[in-house]
Amino acid sequence: MNDLNIASSQSTPGIESDTNAGILRMHGDSYPENSFEFFDPIIQWIEDYLRLRSEALHLELRLVYMNTSSVKAMMDIFDMLEDAHGRGRAVSVAWYYDPRNERVLDLADEFREDCSFPFDIAAAPQ
Amino acid sequence: MTGGPRHYIDEAGLHALIGHLLADPAHQDNPLRTPLNDLFKHSESQRERLERLVRISDGYHSISHRQTLSLTEQYDKQLRRLEKLARISDRYQNSLRELSEALRDSALHDSLTGLDNRRSLMERLREETERAIRKGTPYGLAILDVDRFKSINDQFGHEAGDKALCAISEAIQRSLREYDVCGRWGGEEFLVLLPETSIESAMQVVERIRTGMEQVQLRFSEDDTARVTASFGLTRYRLGESFSDTINRADAGLLKAKMEGRNRVVVAA
Repeated sequence: MNDLNIASSQSTPGIESDTNAGILRMHGDSYPENSFEFFDPIIQWIEDYLRLRSEALHLELRLVYMNTSSVKAMMDIFDMLEDAHGRGRAVSVAWYYDPRNERVLDLADEFREDCSFPFDIAAAPQ
Repeated sequence: MTGGPRHYIDEAGLHALIGHLLADPAHQDNPLRTPLNDLFKHSESQRERLERLVRISDGYHSISHRQTLSLTEQYDKQLRRLEKLARISDRYQNSLRELSEALRDSALHDSLTGLDNRRSLMERLREETERAIRKGTPYGLAILDVDRFKSINDQFGHEAGDKALCAISEAIQRSLREYDVCGRWGGEEFLVLLPETSIESAMQVVERIRTGMEQVQLRFSEDDTARVTASFGLTRYRLGESFSDTINRADAGLLKAKMEGRNRVVVAA
């Protein structure tokens, strides 16, 4: 399967996937004009990975600002991980935030609410 | 039919009895035997039909019940998701709003003293000038410059100079009326805008600032203390002129106050 390598822009986060290591990284602000179009390949990659591989999947997030449709896309992604987790797959999320912006901590915590898989939120200088 | 206790028959017993009678050769020639046999068969098939009907109906009922349950579940789940989405989204929106307020604040205020900065003062001057023209009530305008400020910097260092500017800005604000505007115009220059104020009243306010500043004791360390004074140029907006003319006139007054020996107010009428 092909890896993702999308450079960040002013309104879209940078995305990198590493199929062999089982890691997906997302960082930056996310308010794309067309969220569905932007997130579609990301959701597709996660679906493919969970279907074609049996190794663990780890999401490394450094997301800062998100618009509503990006929030929805992230909720969909976490739902996919939750389903996979329910089927016995090893999935985990680490969300790093800039300690100067504590609000991201609260927001990541809101996202984590319904997730039963390992979901760490940690301060890390950007 | 009249009421009364309903007669429940023992269905299984009746069934067995009739089966037994029909099979008994003693009743072989009874004329009732054939119609009874037909009735017996008919009753049997009716009973089976009824049971099948009940079974099917119960099946439908339970399917529809399961569907309702799962729809309710899905609906509740979607509702929870939607609420979560709105909650997270609202938080992002709030943090953006606060950020834009902070940016606006830093764009209009002096970061050291917290007073209006030059950009904000220009905006206020524009507004006050429009209001003065509209209502025919000119404002007073004073520019003050801290006397020998350079010597504080030279003697005690720049940090002391910054502390002094903060103490001075607090002293100025203490002497102002609620609707007066004060801002940092430049390095150690402050501008005071006195809306709808006569030159006599403006003079009172500015004198209050001047004497208030004389009271300020700057203390940089145990032994290092200093006092500050300021010189003032005061004028009043003249209806029809541009506010830069008013500023120039106040500046000229300030220069005169410096030349006449500092720590004084010169009215440039």
